[in-house]
Amino acid sequence: MIKCGKYKERLADWHMGRLDTAAATELEQHLNTCADCRDALAATGFVLDSINDLQDLEPSVHVKADFRAMLDDFKAAEKKKVSDSIWSWLLQPRLSLAYGAVVLLCIAGAYLLGHNNKQGQEVQELHAQVHELKQKMVLTMLDNPLASERIKAVSYTNDLKKVDNRVIDALLATLNNDPNVNVRLSTLEALAALGSHPEVRTGLIKSITTQDSPIIQLAIADVMLKLQEKRSVGSFRELLKQKGLDDEVKQKVKETITKLI
Amino acid sequence: MDILSDNALMLQVKAGDLERMSMLFERHHRALLGFLFHLTQRREASEDMVQTVFYRMLKYRNSFTDGSNFTGWMYHIARNVLKDQKFGLDIKYHQIGAQEEKIAGGTLADERLEKKQSCQQLYDAMGMLNEGDREILMLNRMKELNYPEISEIMGISQGAARVRVSRAVEELKRIFVKKGIKKDS
Repeated sequence: MIKCGKYKERLADWHMGRLDTAAATELEQHLNTCADCRDALAATGFVLDSINDLQDLEPSVHVKADFRAMLDDFKAAEKKKVSDSIWSWLLQPRLSLAYGAVVLLCIAGAYLLGHNNKQGQEVQELHAQVHELKQKMVLTMLDNPLASERIKAVSYTNDLKKVDNRVIDALLATLNNDPNVNVRLSTLEALAALGSHPEVRTGLIKSITTQDSPIIQLAIADVMLKLQEKRSVGSFRELLKQKGLDDEVKQKVKETITKLI
Repeated sequence: MDILSDNALMLQVKAGDLERMSMLFERHHRALLGFLFHLTQRREASEDMVQTVFYRMLKYRNSFTDGSNFTGWMYHIARNVLKDQKFGLDIKYHQIGAQEEKIAGGTLADERLEKKQSCQQLYDAMGMLNEGDREILMLNRMKELNYPEISEIMGISQGAARVRVSRAVEELKRIFVKKGIKKDS
């Protein structure tokens, strides 16, 4: 009788189809030989069937309409929040500085053009300043609460001929910390294009073990292959040790390691 | 991932496509209403709570992650909404007959009456369980929830969830015997 305890604990799971095959077979064999457990199973089945047979009630007609109204209100409120935040973003003090700078640069540009190519050096300076401004723009936009704005910011880095460490750091921070997987994915693409920078490579290798989304893990493996970055092998081996790693990712990482060695 | 799976839809909601929530509502509001109603016996309050659950899912959409299971997440929120209600789960379980007339299904009057009586018996019996046991049995009856989800919703380990389901069933069996509830009674 004592040994029946462990079987009795499983009766409910058996009835609900929640036992794995091995456990189910074992229990069934026991049931064939134990009348006591068969009675217990019948009683368990009756209790569970009574619960399972409870009828879910028909929602009142207004439930759907209430939901529609709630959703519409919510959408409207969100829209307002977004437009408010765009305005506050456009009107924030640090940007007004940037607007000022753009105006000044345009005047300076016009002035320089007017004086023709007397000062090639100054034109170059102007380029440098515009470039600096673009970088600042990217950095500011990466802080935007809207995912779509952050993706835009990331894509702007493709236009930059040169990026300095501030932008690289910001991109790596986005790759490691951004809550939105699409933003992280775009950031990874942008960083892959900057693969000639040693800081980017080191940052990407470090990021391998911190990413938890399978899509990013797969993409990062592709990037490492493209860059032929052999130093990443160690990090990939670390990643393989992680529990709950997606099977597809596991396979891909193993392949990547083989190809890199 | 199937782009119309619950998880994919919720990730789209999170990314800003709020309208997608209406598909999730279509799929889940009945079962959710059932869960809340079986635990509270109050139609109106349960219907209000369904709205609150969906509102909270919209509001806290950023807490839904790639690794979450939508149904598990929804019932987790539903449990919190239940807890926030003043009456909690400590309501009396014997007013169902007066409160709930419309039990779906069952075309014949006799059949309906019979259903209602056995339903009433079960509610009475469940009223004698503790709150946690009632909740776990109501989660356990849902096919789409397995132990990983149930344990997440209840905030306990999978092993503990298994044991708890089994004990709750045993307890209810004892109550059935005590009250003389039998098959075809």
